[in-house]
Amino acid sequence: MENNKQYWRGLEELNPSPEFLAQQKNEFMEGVPMDEMLNENASSFDLSSNRRDFLKYFGFGIGAVALAACNNTPVKNAIPYIVKPENITPGVPNFYASTCGACATACGIVVKTREGRPIKIDGNEKTFNQGAVCAQGQASVLSLYDNNRNKKPSVKGKESDWKSIDSSISKELEEIAATSASIKIVTGTINSPSTLKAIEAFVSKYKNASLVQYDAVSSSAIINANEMCFGKAVVPQYDFSKAKVIVSFGADFLGTWISPVEYTKQWSKTRKLNNTKNMSRHIQFESGLSVTGSNADVRIPVKPSQEGLAIVSLYNEVAKLLGASTIAAPSFNVAANLLTHTAQELVNTKGASIVVSGSNDVDVQIIVNALNSMLGNIGNTVDLDNYSKQRTATDVSFDKLVEDMNAGSVGGVIFMNVNPFYNYHALDKLKSGISKVKLSVSSSYSNDETAQAVSYVCPDSHYLESWNDYEPKAGKYQLAQPTITTVFETRQSQESLLKWSGVELDYYTFIKENWKNTILAGSGSFITSWNQALHDGLFYKDSVSASARSLSADVAKSASSLTSNTSKGIEVQVYTKVSIGDGSQANNPWLQEMPDPITRTTWDNYASINKTTADNLKLKDGSIINVTIGNDKITNLPVMIQPGQVKDTISVALGYGQSEKIGKVASTSGKNAYGFRNSKNGNTISWSENASVEKVGEDYAFARTQTHHTIEGRAIVKETTLDRWTKDATSGNHGHAHIVSLWDEKDYKGHRWAMAIDLNACTGCGACVIACQAENNVAVLGKEEVTKGREMHWIRIDRYYSFNAKKDGKDARITRETEYDEEKGGKLVQDWENVSVVYQPVMCQHCTHASCETVCPVLATTHSSEGLNQMTYNRCIGTKYCANNCAYKVRRFNYFRYFQNDRFDFNMNNDLGRMVLNPDVTVRSRGVMEKCSFCVQRINLGKLVAKREGRELAKDEVKTACQVACPADAIVFGDRNNPESEIAKLFTNEREYALMTDDEKAMMKPFMDVVNASMTESEKDNVKRAYALLEEINVKPSVKYLTKVRNRADKAIDNELENEMALDKPHGEEHSGKSHGEEHNAPAHH
Amino acid sequence: MKINVKITVLLFCFINGIISFAGAAPSADEGKKLFEANCASCHKVDKDLVGPALKDIDKRRDIGWIIKWVKNPQAVIKSGDAYATALYNKFNQQNMTAFGSLKDDEIKSIVEYIKAYVPPAPAPGTETATPDQSGTNNSDFGSATLLALLAIAVLLIFIVMLLGRVNDVLKQRVYEKKPELIPENQGYSFIKDTFMPWVRGWNKTVATVMAIVIFGILFAYNGFKYANNEVGVQKGYSPTQPINFSHKIHAGDYKINCQYCHSSAEKSKQASIPSLSTCMNCHSYVTAKDKYNGQTSPEIAKIYKAIGFNEQNKKYDQPQSPIKWIRIHNLPDHAVFNHSTHVKLGKVACQKCHGEVQEMEVVYQRNSLQMGWCINCHRESNVDVASNPYYEKLHARLKKEGKTEIKVAQNGGLECSKCHY
Repeated sequence: MENNKQYWRGLEELNPSPEFLAQQKNEFMEGVPMDEMLNENASSFDLSSNRRDFLKYFGFGIGAVALAACNNTPVKNAIPYIVKPENITPGVPNFYASTCGACATACGIVVKTREGRPIKIDGNEKTFNQGAVCAQGQASVLSLYDNNRNKKPSVKGKESDWKSIDSSISKELEEIAATSASIKIVTGTINSPSTLKAIEAFVSKYKNASLVQYDAVSSSAIINANEMCFGKAVVPQYDFSKAKVIVSFGADFLGTWISPVEYTKQWSKTRKLNNTKNMSRHIQFESGLSVTGSNADVRIPVKPSQEGLAIVSLYNEVAKLLGASTIAAPSFNVAANLLTHTAQELVNTKGASIVVSGSNDVDVQIIVNALNSMLGNIGNTVDLDNYSKQRTATDVSFDKLVEDMNAGSVGGVIFMNVNPFYNYHALDKLKSGISKVKLSVSSSYSNDETAQAVSYVCPDSHYLESWNDYEPKAGKYQLAQPTITTVFETRQSQESLLKWSGVELDYYTFIKENWKNTILAGSGSFITSWNQALHDGLFYKDSVSASARSLSADVAKSASSLTSNTSKGIEVQVYTKVSIGDGSQANNPWLQEMPDPITRTTWDNYASINKTTADNLKLKDGSIINVTIGNDKITNLPVMIQPGQVKDTISVALGYGQSEKIGKVASTSGKNAYGFRNSKNGNTISWSENASVEKVGEDYAFARTQTHHTIEGRAIVKETTLDRWTKDATSGNHGHAHIVSLWDEKDYKGHRWAMAIDLNACTGCGACVIACQAENNVAVLGKEEVTKGREMHWIRIDRYYSFNAKKDGKDARITRETEYDEEKGGKLVQDWENVSVVYQPVMCQHCTHASCETVCPVLATTHSSEGLNQMTYNRCIGTKYCANNCAYKVRRFNYFRYFQNDRFDFNMNNDLGRMVLNPDVTVRSRGVMEKCSFCVQRINLGKLVAKREGRELAKDEVKTACQVACPADAIVFGDRNNPESEIAKLFTNEREYALMTDDEKAMMKPFMDVVNASMTESEKDNVKRAYALLEEINVKPSVKYLTKVRNRADKAIDNELENEMALDKPHGEEHSGKSHGEEHNAPAHH
Repeated sequence: MKINVKITVLLFCFINGIISFAGAAPSADEGKKLFEANCASCHKVDKDLVGPALKDIDKRRDIGWIIKWVKNPQAVIKSGDAYATALYNKFNQQNMTAFGSLKDDEIKSIVEYIKAYVPPAPAPGTETATPDQSGTNNSDFGSATLLALLAIAVLLIFIVMLLGRVNDVLKQRVYEKKPELIPENQGYSFIKDTFMPWVRGWNKTVATVMAIVIFGILFAYNGFKYANNEVGVQKGYSPTQPINFSHKIHAGDYKINCQYCHSSAEKSKQASIPSLSTCMNCHSYVTAKDKYNGQTSPEIAKIYKAIGFNEQNKKYDQPQSPIKWIRIHNLPDHAVFNHSTHVKLGKVACQKCHGEVQEMEVVYQRNSLQMGWCINCHRESNVDVASNPYYEKLHARLKKEGKTEIKVAQNGGLECSKCHY
C-alpha cells in the first residue's frame, strides 16, 4: 500500500477478535456442513453405520443407478406460435423503449424481451438518465413476476370481476357526487400529461372530485421554498456536471435523492481524469453515512438538528466574503476555519457551484435558495426554467385530506398506487379517517396495508404491462409501452379512471389523442412523429434559456427559526436505502439481497449508531433495542455500529417491516420506521429528537457481507490526492512488484477481453450488482444463507473504511481538516465520526495465469484463447479447490439447488418468477462453482453479429451488463488487442511494461508503440493510475483499477508534500496492519 | 513477333470475353438451384400447386413482365394489370411472396430452367428404404432385446444343468434300490471321466477369484461403454407426433426449402418450428382430397382445427389450440447451440446434423448429439477466413505465416465457453 493508512471493512477487521482471526483462516465461514449435506432435516445424523447399513445403501445405490440408466427419453414439447407475430423471432431478443415506473423519477429505459416476456432493463441513452438506470429500476422487472401480486379485483377481501366492481363503484361515485361530500384521488407524484387528463375527465364527471398527490418521501420543502423565494412551486433542474464545488446538506443525490442516476452521471463527469486534471470538490454535511457522503471529498458530520445552524453559518461566511449582510446566529460547533474554507471555495467558483439540501424543512431550503442566489448559481447549476417534475407532491395536501376525512367531509377516496397506510407518519389519524369515508378504492399492486384498509381493490398492472406517458422535466416528454400482455386480471389505474368517468376510449387511444392534440401538435405528420417518439421513447422539446431570478423571501425569519434549534437527546434520522427505497418494491428478493453500499448488510434495517454513543449506552454491534420517541416506538431493532455516524444519533432505513400479506420477502425483514417522521410547517421531516433507547437483547445475526470473502488486509485499494496527483501522475501508484514468472507467456492472437474500473468514479451504488444478477441468473439465497457467507453475487462491492489517519501525532495527511484535528488536540485516532470510504467492485479478475485453473482436478475451469477464465458448469464436480486457491475470493459455490427447492422460495421456485431468467445463460445446479464470465454470452453474440454482417468487431460493441448499468461510467470493457479501444490504453502503458518478463516485452513492444502514439498527454497521465490487484503474485489479472484521487489537499498539505512524497518510498512489511501473520511477498517499491 | 503478340492478346481477350459472357448469361443450372430454393415450395413446372404451373411461362408473358411480377407481385396487381388480376383471383386471392432481392439475371435463369425442364422419369421402385428406427446397432434387435435373450439363455442353461443334476440324483436313488438296473458297462464319458475330474482338481479360491475378475472386467467394460454411449443419448429417437407430418413429402418430393418453414435458422439460435400460419400458406387449399375420397386429409384437418380455420367459409373463426410437437433433438441446458452460427456462417447443410430429413417419413434423431460428435466436426471444418472481413487481420497473418486455412478448432472451437456458459 502506498500510504500507511489502515483500511478496514468492518469492526471485526479493525479490532479483530481471536474468533474472527481463526475464522478467517477457514475455507468456509462455518464448518463444512456434512450433516446438513447428508440429511437436510435431521441435525444429528449418525454417521457411524454398520455393515448391514452399508449393504442396504449399496444395494439401493445399485438399484437406483440401474433404474436411472433405463434409457427413457423424457418427452419435451415444442409448441410453436399459432400465428407468429411478425416482429418476434424465437431466440432473438426485441428491445422496446419505455419509461421506468419504479419511482416517480421516470428514467427512460430500454426493455429487453425474449419471446414476449421482458427479462432485462437498461437505461435509454437518449433520455436524461443517459443510458443508466438504478438498482431499483433494474430489479423492477422481477416485480412484474411477483407471485404475490393482486391477481384479480376484489371487494372487501372477496374476489370479484371487473364488470361488477365497475358498476358498483360507478354507482357509489354517483351517489357521493349527488351529495356535498368530496371525492379524492390520491396518487404519488404525477407528471404524466395523459394521466392528468384522465383525472380531469374524472373530475368533470364527478363534481367535488379533486386530485391529491402524496409521496412517501417527498421533496415538498423544495417546492414550497421555491414558491416563496422565486414564485415557482417546482423542483429545479440541478446540474452537477457544471459545478466545480458541490456542497450538500444531507442530500443523498448519488444514492436516493430525486434523480440519482442523472445526478451520478453529471457528478462522475467531474470526477474523470482522462482528459483533464481538474476535479470537482464535493463537501457533504450529514449525520448518517450516505452513499453521497461516503463519496464526498470532505464529509462533515452534523446532527440533524444542527443542520439548519450549519447552513446559516455557511450563509454568513459567504455573505461576509461577498460583502452582503449577515444574520445573527449562534456559533456552529465545527471549527470556523472549515466553514470559511468552504465559503471561500464557493465564492471562488461563483456561478459554477451548487448548494443542495435533502431536508424537508422549508426554512432550510429557503437558506439554500438564498445561498445559491447569492452565489449566482440560479440559472446556471440550478435551473428553474427547465425545471424538474419528478417530485410534485406537497405533504400539506395529504395532511389536509386526512383532516377532512376525520371531519367527515370526504365521501370517497381512490388510492392510486400509493400505500399511505404503511408509510404515512400519523397512521392513527389516517385509520380513524378512513372509517368515516363511504367509498374507498385502492389500485394496490399487492395486498398491501392500503389494500387491506379499503373496500374495493382494483389492482393496477405493472408498468411493463401498461401504456403511459411522462413529463419528468418541463417540456421533456417520454412514453411507456407495454412489453407483455397483462399476466393476471389486472387493469392499469388510468384505464379504471376512464371507465368510471364514462370515457369510451382505452388508455392507449386516449394517450395518442392527447399527444395528437397537445404535445405533438404542429410537429408535422402525427403518425410519423408519434412512431418516432414511441421508437425513441421520448419527445424532448428544446430547453428554454435559463435565467437568474431575484430572491423574495424572508431569509432572516427562516434563519432565526433554524438557529433556535438546540440538540435534544438522541436524534433519530430516517433515510432511504439505495436498494429498498421507500419500500414500494420490498417484496423483490433481488433488492432485499442486494448488500447496502454502506453497511454491506442484506435483508434488514437496523439502528446505525456511533461507536462512542453505543459505548455510552452499553450497546454492542448486534444488540437489540427498543427505540421510543413520544408515542412512536420500534421494538426489537438491531444495533449496527456505523463508522461515520454522528454521535448521539441513530439512523434507521425506511421501507422495511411491511405487511406479511404483501409477501414473504417483504415481511420477513426489518421494522417500519415511517412513524419516526413528523410534520414541521406542513412538511414531513425525516428526523425527530429525544429518543429513548432500551436494550432488550444481544447477538443479532446480521446477513452482512462486508467481511465475507476477506483478503486479509492485503493492499488492494490505492488512493492519492488531486494535488499530489497533478504533480506526479504515478502518485498513489508508485512502484510495482518485482515479477519472477513461472509461466510461459502466451500470444493472444485474436481478441483479448479486459476490464478497468475507475475507483474515482465508482460510487458503490450497486446498480451493477443487480444488472449482473438479472443478466446471469444469479440465485437469491435468503437471509439465513447469506448469514453463512454463501451469497452468490458475481460482483461484490468492497467498502473500505479508513480513519483520517495521523502520523507523528499531528499530521492529518490527505484530509483537509487539519484545523479540525487541532481543535481536538491533534488526536484523531479512531474518530468514529470521521472515516474515509473507498469502494471497490471485485468480480472474477480473469487472470492470465489464473491460480484456480491450475488446481482444478477435472479441468472445469480453463483459459480461453481470448483471455477469458472459463467456468464449465457441467464439468465441475465441486471440489472447491478453485475457490480456495483464488486470491480474490470471487468464486461462488452452489451449496444447494437454488431453483425448484422449497427452502429457497424466491423467484426461481415458481413458474412466474422463472420467467425472468435469461434463456442464454445456464441456471446452475447444486454442487458446481460459478463466477463472473465477463458476460461471455454477450461476447459470443457480438462476435456472431459482426461475422454475420461481414465486418470487424467495433471497439465498443460488446458491453458487459455491469458496464451498461453503471451510472458513473466507472467500468470500461473491451478488447485490449484492439489498439483503438479504451481498454488497450490502460493495459499497454509503461507501468504495465515494467511488470513484463523479457519475452513478453519483446512480444508487446510493437503493439505498445501503436497504442502510445495514439494517446494524448492527459490520457498518458491518467493511465498511470492503473494497477492490478495483488500484482506481486503475478497472476496477471485482466481487470485494472484506477487509483482513487481525493480532491482535498490544501495549502497546509501542499507544504508538506515533498516531505510526504519521501515517506512514500519503501514501506515493506509495515503496511496495512496486523492481521496477516503468514508470509506473503510484500510489494517491493521502487 | 509483335503481330503474334497482338493476336495472342486479342485471342486471349476474345476467349476471356466468351468465358465471362458465358458466366454472366442466365444458366439453367443456376436457375434450377434458385427455383428449388425460392419457388418450389409453391410452384411446380408441370402442375398447379399453390401457384400456377410455370411451364411455358416464357411464352405466356414477356420477360420484363415476369421480372416485375416476381420482384413485386402486389404492385403489378395494384397497377391494374388484367392478367395479374385474373391470376390473383384464380388462386384464391393468395398473395405471392415478393422476391425483391432476386437479381434480373437470376430471374432470367429461373425462366431458362423452366424452359429446359424435362419431367423426371418415374424412378424404378419408388419405395425408399424406411429409416432404421432401432437405434444404434444395425442388427434386427436392440441391445435391450439382446440382453434379455442372453439372460434367458443363461437361465435355460442353468435349468438344463439343474434338470440334469435332478436326473442324476433320481438315477442314483433308483440304482441304490435296484442295483440290477445299473448298466454294466457305461463306457467312456468325456464329461464324467475327463472334464469333471479336471474341474475338481482346481484350487477353489483361485478359481473364484479368477471368475470374479473376469466377470468384473466384462461388467465394468460394458457398463462404461453403456454409460458413455447410451445413457442420455437418444440417437434414433422417433416419437409419434401429434400430426403425422412427413418431411419426405414436403422436403423430399416437393423440395420445399428447409428454411421456408424453419425460417429463423439463419437469424437465431433456434431454427424454430413453423407457426401454423406458415402451414396455411399452402394448406389453405392443399387438402389432398384426391387421396382421401374427396375428404380433407385427416392430418391437414388437424391443422385447421388447431388454427381455427373453417373450411366452409374459409375464415379463421373457430377456437384455436396450439399443437404440442415433441422435441426430437434435445441438447442439455448447459450446452448452447446456435443455428445461425452454423447455418449462416459455417454454411453447414441441415442434413449434416439432422440426417437426410427429406427422406424421412417420420423424423428421427440421426446423430448422437454427443460432445465428441460436435468436437469432431469442429476439428474437421474450415473457417471461411478469406471472404469474411471479420477475419481480415487474422487472414492477413495466416497468409504471412504461409497458412491458407484454419479449422474451427484452431479458432477457439474447442474452448469450453464457446458452448457452455
